[in-house]
Amino acid sequence: MHVIETQNLYKEYTQKFSKQKVNALNDFTFNVEQGEIFGLLGPNGAGKTTLIKILLAITFPTNGSAKLFGTDVKNHKAKTKVGYLPENHKFPSYLTGEQVLSYYGQLSGMRAGSEMNKRIDEMLGMMNLTQWRKTKIKKYSKGMMQKLGLAQSMLSDPDLIFLDEPTDGVDPIGRKEIRDILAQIKSRGKTIFLNSHLLSEVEMICDRVAILNKGDLIKEGNVEDLTKAENIFAVHTVETLTMEIKQKVLAIDGNAGIGEKEINTEAGIDKLNGIIDTLRSGGVKIQSVNQKTNTLEELFINVIKKDNTN
Amino acid sequence: MLTIIQNTFREALAKKIFIGYYIFYAIVILIMIFLVNMDSVEGVMSLADSKMLVHQVETGFLTISWNLIIFFSLISTASFIPSMLEKGTIDLLISKPISRPMILISKYLGAVLFVFISMVFLLGSIWLILSLKSGFWDPTFLLSILWLTLAFAVMYSIVVIIGLTTQSTVVAILVNFFLIFVLCPVLSVREAVVFSLVTNETVRFVFDFLYYLLPKPGEFRDVTTSLITGDTINMWKSSSNAETGLFTVSWLSPISSVLFLLVTMAYSIYFFSKKDY
Repeated sequence: MHVIETQNLYKEYTQKFSKQKVNALNDFTFNVEQGEIFGLLGPNGAGKTTLIKILLAITFPTNGSAKLFGTDVKNHKAKTKVGYLPENHKFPSYLTGEQVLSYYGQLSGMRAGSEMNKRIDEMLGMMNLTQWRKTKIKKYSKGMMQKLGLAQSMLSDPDLIFLDEPTDGVDPIGRKEIRDILAQIKSRGKTIFLNSHLLSEVEMICDRVAILNKGDLIKEGNVEDLTKAENIFAVHTVETLTMEIKQKVLAIDGNAGIGEKEINTEAGIDKLNGIIDTLRSGGVKIQSVNQKTNTLEELFINVIKKDNTN
Repeated sequence: MLTIIQNTFREALAKKIFIGYYIFYAIVILIMIFLVNMDSVEGVMSLADSKMLVHQVETGFLTISWNLIIFFSLISTASFIPSMLEKGTIDLLISKPISRPMILISKYLGAVLFVFISMVFLLGSIWLILSLKSGFWDPTFLLSILWLTLAFAVMYSIVVIIGLTTQSTVVAILVNFFLIFVLCPVLSVREAVVFSLVTNETVRFVFDFLYYLLPKPGEFRDVTTSLITGDTINMWKSSSNAETGLFTVSWLSPISSVLFLLVTMAYSIYFFSKKDY
């Protein structure tokens, strides 16, 4: 059983004044498995938040179906084992940090009592908010609110957590803390569905990502596989390359990038081996041969540009 | 459900308007304590006199304050629905394993229960003061707590539906002001006043139609005062005696108002259940 399962999700909005139809999601089918940290990427208006809202039945799809733990999301019981941190969440400002957790904990099905209080203590401790527990949240900073939101999403120990921009407004140290907490949750077999603009962060945390553009799923896969740049290799040498060697290399791959002690080629494995043979026969010692990787940011920009051109 | 009701109470208590609301009630209670005199010149009144005087004070108080109490209560609770629908709040609420109808009903009941408790405080205190001062203990006045709460519940269903569709507290308050202080009183006297001026059948039909369709908060008061004084209440139609000038209310007003409440809330629940947030 998949933790998240969608079948041909389609969502169309009608704009308020122009009455124009906008496709927020087109025929979107994907699954998320237990224990994964799944990242959802896409430019503004790509349909990321719409997807999360459909999965939580905050918004209804025009067509298609979505299930959480095998239960249709239209059934509110599908959300029993789910935690959610919305983007720009708004807690009742008249509550203290402790009361916020107690309120949302009870809404998640927890019973008020020592068990829940123990869990609240644990969460506040984990987020370094213990000393602020009795303070009204209107006095909290943005970062503290974000941490409280994260604590709220994890309070009932859900098996699946949706996080929409969890590190928004959090300082670098706080971000690192949140990343560590997410890794800790993952090690306990929980599933995390992450929506973030910070691609470097997604790259560090996520096992698998999906890239959305204009409502279409344009790329999906493991982070490691997606960021591997096929057929791009860098050869580093110990000695400085002579003009003769450089010309021989260019004869093999006319597009090779040649530096003083470095050759970059995108011509494939065969030509890479030809270049290595040339270096070896010319008495050049090779220090390293590396397959180049793209950052997730590079991949994201390339994929979106390509999709927009098409 | 209890969690949302409890939080609605917290929300109410956090609003400064409620402090003003309770100060006002406290002043009314103090006036009752210090200014209402139940002693006769000779000393002690007969039981019948006491009963009449107490009833006069009770019904007089209700006549003056009924619509004002309902309107103040609506002002103080009108923001509950729009604030619940704010982005970032509603998403989180719906993401919890609670059905949408349950969320809305809990919020509605929270507001109604809060007003009920406020009425127990205000009207209960007044009853206690009058009873202690007069020595006449008649619990029928306490029925006004239930009737006022019911009248509020009917009018609050309008706040709910306007809140859901417009997300505006101001619009909800304005519509209620218009209904409580303008339209409903005019419709109540349509036969005695309006129809004596208007002869057009279509206009008369429209007035009748609106009268039977819309809630009648003022007529809840008439039913309550009739219950206190022990006056007759007709089943379906109010009547007035030309000779004595006595007006007899009917049960039709509360019945049609409660039907209005049920239909309005049913539509609100349907609307809330289908809406994208």
